[in-house]
Amino acid sequence: MMKKIVIHEEYCIGCRLCEIQCLVKHSSSGKIIKAFREEYPRPISRVHVEEEGYLSFALQCRHCEDATCIENCMTGAMHRDEKSGAVICDEEKCVGCWMCIMSCPFGVIQREKKERKIASKCDLCGNDGEPACVANCPNEALSYEEN
Amino acid sequence: MKKIETDYFIVGYSVASWWCIKSIVENDSFCCIQAISDEKTVYSRPLITYGLGKTINSIAYHGTLEESSQVQVRYETKVKQLDVNRKLAFLSDETEITFNKALIASGGVPILPEISGHEIPGIFTFTRRKDMANIDAFMKKNSSKNIVILGGGFIGLKTCEAMMSMNKNLTLIELAPRLLQNMLDEEGSYYLEKSLLRSGVHIIKEDTIVSFENEKGKLSDVLLKSGRRIPADIAVMAIGVRPNVDWLRSSNIKINRGILVDEYQQSSCPGIYAAGDVAETCHLLTGERNVVAIWPEAVNQGRIAGWNMSGRVVSYLGSLPMNAVEVGEKALVSAGIVNPTDDNCEIIIKKDRENYKKLVIKDDCIVGVIFIGDIEKSGIYINLMRQKLPVQAFFDKLLEPNFGLINLPTRYRKHLVKGAGIEV
Repeated sequence: MMKKIVIHEEYCIGCRLCEIQCLVKHSSSGKIIKAFREEYPRPISRVHVEEEGYLSFALQCRHCEDATCIENCMTGAMHRDEKSGAVICDEEKCVGCWMCIMSCPFGVIQREKKERKIASKCDLCGNDGEPACVANCPNEALSYEEN
Repeated sequence: MKKIETDYFIVGYSVASWWCIKSIVENDSFCCIQAISDEKTVYSRPLITYGLGKTINSIAYHGTLEESSQVQVRYETKVKQLDVNRKLAFLSDETEITFNKALIASGGVPILPEISGHEIPGIFTFTRRKDMANIDAFMKKNSSKNIVILGGGFIGLKTCEAMMSMNKNLTLIELAPRLLQNMLDEEGSYYLEKSLLRSGVHIIKEDTIVSFENEKGKLSDVLLKSGRRIPADIAVMAIGVRPNVDWLRSSNIKINRGILVDEYQQSSCPGIYAAGDVAETCHLLTGERNVVAIWPEAVNQGRIAGWNMSGRVVSYLGSLPMNAVEVGEKALVSAGIVNPTDDNCEIIIKKDRENYKKLVIKDDCIVGVIFIGDIEKSGIYINLMRQKLPVQAFFDKLLEPNFGLINLPTRYRKHLVKGAGIEV
């Protein structure tokens, strides 16, 4: 069974620490100040806090069972990791055609400009223990669970 | 003549066929499948523009294909004759195949207008791997500088995108008064045009090529209807594609523009199915017959055809035109009915210098989407359109900059994903 990030909207206080930690985790230096001040283009967070009145939650890729982004990927860059079950974009193979963006019902895939255009999304932090957004949430509004 | 019997016979081996085969194998794991392809190898067709522009080294498809021993693919093979009553196909490699069910996924062929001088070297279409190789070889040999693209539709712009990275002198010629006329509206195409001009592409609208002119047997200019003459070393004809059905005209299969299929992707001949660019389906929103030649619908139609061919009855809900493209740093997404002719449609637009967002709403449901610039959230709207979810409850928020899943009814967002605990 794969582990997934579970959202607990009732605990989210909208502090956006998850966004900051996600950005740092996916930066090349891995250091918070360097990531924000010295890296260009600035790395982007793959999780985003949505807010409406008193309600808020952090949203990242849901790693859908029937993932339209995988079906609609014309290179096969978007694929399911056999070990973790996560939906991962292989940036080497991505051509930035944005078919995945158009297909995602959550709007959680972004354009990123590295050496070339690529689709950027949650990779569960490389399946290396708890993802940064979960590990750094001060109020347990995100958890990483088997389901 | 070699004779072969098979359960399933698949004509064409690209995306619709791949997904059809996956569905078949899911249901009928001990079957035998024979597929034919007129290509030399398997590759991802839309990647040819990226291959020409050298953004990628290989145009291979890296996704998973069904590759068990029960699936046999014959390359560089065509159907010479299809007998739908006897379920028999005669192939160009002198094989005779008897099958139980067949999928026709023979794709599309480029539309070629009658233009005088079209036989001069330097004039290409651009839909297959061999076109990519031919253009590439021609460019290298002749160090071509001036490139004319005829057609400002999707293929024309993808071709343009490929060549922009090659430091060429590009001219795009479109007969309509605007670019991407099916995907964009007048205002939207203005954003695209601005971005293309900024990247140095010449755009000529409301005009077309009447003849190709040569100098010492090589393409030198194109002559336009307006009388203008544009220097050209290479001309790419990118007017569009039509279903590849000519080889079926003598069969009994009912064909309009494409092969007419029912909601199970079955043609007028029982046991013969069609999917992808060759199939004529019904529009998801209007119900009108149309050929929607895009990757996502080839996947959907292929899957549905495969399930129905192997005994699992599943209906196809209808095709939804949609596409994404980025040219000259300007990304755009378009889906559904973006230029409604119906007066009962409401249109909402949000725009600034770099971004343009338009929604077309009919009977309280989204029926059309254009996003230019920030396209990241376009998928949310496209899915609302697909699900036909009434938007009244959150209408005022629809094009707000922070619109997201949070604005949607809890019931909707909690059931978007299968599996406990991972809902939003």
